[in-house]
Amino acid sequence: MTETLLTLHIVLALLVLFSRNLLTAVIFLAVYSLFSSLLFFILHAPDVALTEAAIGAGISTFLYVWVIRKTRDGVAS
Amino acid sequence: MTLDLAFDLVVFLFLGSSVLSLVRVIMGPTSADRLIGLNIVAAQILAILVLVAVKEGLHVYLDVALVYDIFGFVGLLAITRFFGKKGDL
Repeated sequence: MTETLLTLHIVLALLVLFSRNLLTAVIFLAVYSLFSSLLFFILHAPDVALTEAAIGAGISTFLYVWVIRKTRDGVAS
Repeated sequence: MTLDLAFDLVVFLFLGSSVLSLVRVIMGPTSADRLIGLNIVAAQILAILVLVAVKEGLHVYLDVALVYDIFGFVGLLAITRFFGKKGDL
């Protein structure tokens, strides 16, 4: 199970790196954070999994989408 | 013994099912397909979290599932909020 999750980590990290659309990259990053939280949970570290679920899946996604939206409306477009 | 085997079997089935659902996230044509795929994968991973928490029998493990449910919903809501304004980001 741990090996499956680590393989998924590599695949999802490569997808985040090589995706051209920014919203797609943010969604891949959310999935990566989800599987990372599950990996910490399986390895008996519930506090690290709790922090990863709160920061990585919630706040980080919200912040990235907000900043992308602001930059598209402002200077970049 | 039998219950442990059943727990392991169901967890592996949910993990395989979420990997199969990941296909829609990876090769969805539009961003809406990827968002729906993220929702499905998040629901299945949440089921795995609750199953492992019940199997271990500790209350701390159940808090992870609760916090992920709340904050994952906030993240999904943020994506849909900024996604729905212009059709695509």
